[in-house]
Amino acid sequence: MIRTLVLSALVATLAITSVSATEDMSKWLRPSEVPQPKNNKLTPERIELGKLLYFDTRLSSSGEVSCATCHHPKRGWTDEKPTAKAVGVEGRVGPRNSPVVLNTAYQNRQFWDGRVRTLEQQALGPIEADVEMNMPLDVLLPKLRNIKGYVDLFEKAYPGEGITEKTLAKAIASFERTVVSTESPFDKYAKGDKHAISDKAKEGFDLFTGKAGCVNCHDGFNFTDGSFHNIGLYDGELQGKELGRYLVKMRAAWYGVMKTPTLRDVAKSFPYFHDGSVKTLEEATAICAGGGRFEHNVKNKSLSIVDRHLTKEEIDKVVAFMHTLTGPDMDLTIPTKFPQ
Amino acid sequence: MKKILLVAVLAASTLFSADHVIDQKGKTFIPHEITVAVGDTLIFKNSDPFAHNAYTDDEANEFDIGMQSPGTNASVTVKSAGTFSVECAIHPNMLLEVTAK
Repeated sequence: MIRTLVLSALVATLAITSVSATEDMSKWLRPSEVPQPKNNKLTPERIELGKLLYFDTRLSSSGEVSCATCHHPKRGWTDEKPTAKAVGVEGRVGPRNSPVVLNTAYQNRQFWDGRVRTLEQQALGPIEADVEMNMPLDVLLPKLRNIKGYVDLFEKAYPGEGITEKTLAKAIASFERTVVSTESPFDKYAKGDKHAISDKAKEGFDLFTGKAGCVNCHDGFNFTDGSFHNIGLYDGELQGKELGRYLVKMRAAWYGVMKTPTLRDVAKSFPYFHDGSVKTLEEATAICAGGGRFEHNVKNKSLSIVDRHLTKEEIDKVVAFMHTLTGPDMDLTIPTKFPQ
Repeated sequence: MKKILLVAVLAASTLFSADHVIDQKGKTFIPHEITVAVGDTLIFKNSDPFAHNAYTDDEANEFDIGMQSPGTNASVTVKSAGTFSVECAIHPNMLLEVTAK
């Protein structure tokens, strides 16, 4: 009798363990849909219009720079340069590394400093920025209204609304909202295919969620919880754009903090960090899990950035895991002809 | 006489003010909505293994707890009636809606 009870209890425990293990992995699974604002639901017409605008260099003052110049699908939705070079606009150099567009639909703060919430609010910033596309909207909007092809496409996408700041932002945001992760080896693993990633990567995942502490910030299916941190890349008093979110509001907790980036497809989006100062994932991991580049004299350093005492082998395992977050390029035809 | 009444009212309000524990766990405020009385205390408990920083920019109830270490509590007193949002300055996805009556 006692043996039966013990066996039953054991079976029940195993069942519970199994269920909780499944639940534990569920938070890593990609959602089937992206969030869409009520006033800008995705339609094929809006996505197509947004895609054309995203790749159209006529949206810059020089006629040589588009959104894709610094956020290109073949370069991990960034530019693989240390800073956001607005190539063609007098060679001006942006102050920060171009952030990836991938999965920004899931974020509720945009830009490294999170200064706006939505993709619609974000979309026009780089167009007007003098170090990026340098195109004032009061010049751009009349220019677009004189291109009949765009007039027709805006009418199809936003009937009766015309070509305005709002519809321009909505269209670009609609396209950006479709830039989401594809299925990576890790996704297959999370869904139950235990052979989808190597044993080394599995050990890396255990370190990622355990000893290395990466999960404190790179949490959830998008491998970011949207949090803001000063990871100790600089010591002493910070200047200019290095002040990060503190430039949005001088709140003590925002001194030198930047948004936690997604790690989806991270192997494609080098260099790393907001200043693009690091070329490899090994070095980035060593900095984050080693207490920052500077251990001392860092004002407002995140309490999560402490030395986790990882060995080189452990760092390699974490990096092996991060490589399993790389999916195939999304199915996308880059436009070569634009509305006339 | 007026002074005595005022002291009595103040004493009563202190006597009847309540404490409300808001846990910060799993990067969420628990509960994420709460109704309190003016004069009540919100006790922010950090049950996560990393820092939080609850704040509100509501003009009538403005506060900023600052970086709060794991395993610690921090208290604020609700000053005015109204509804206001509390966020975490580190984790902006954390939201608490407070209704003060």
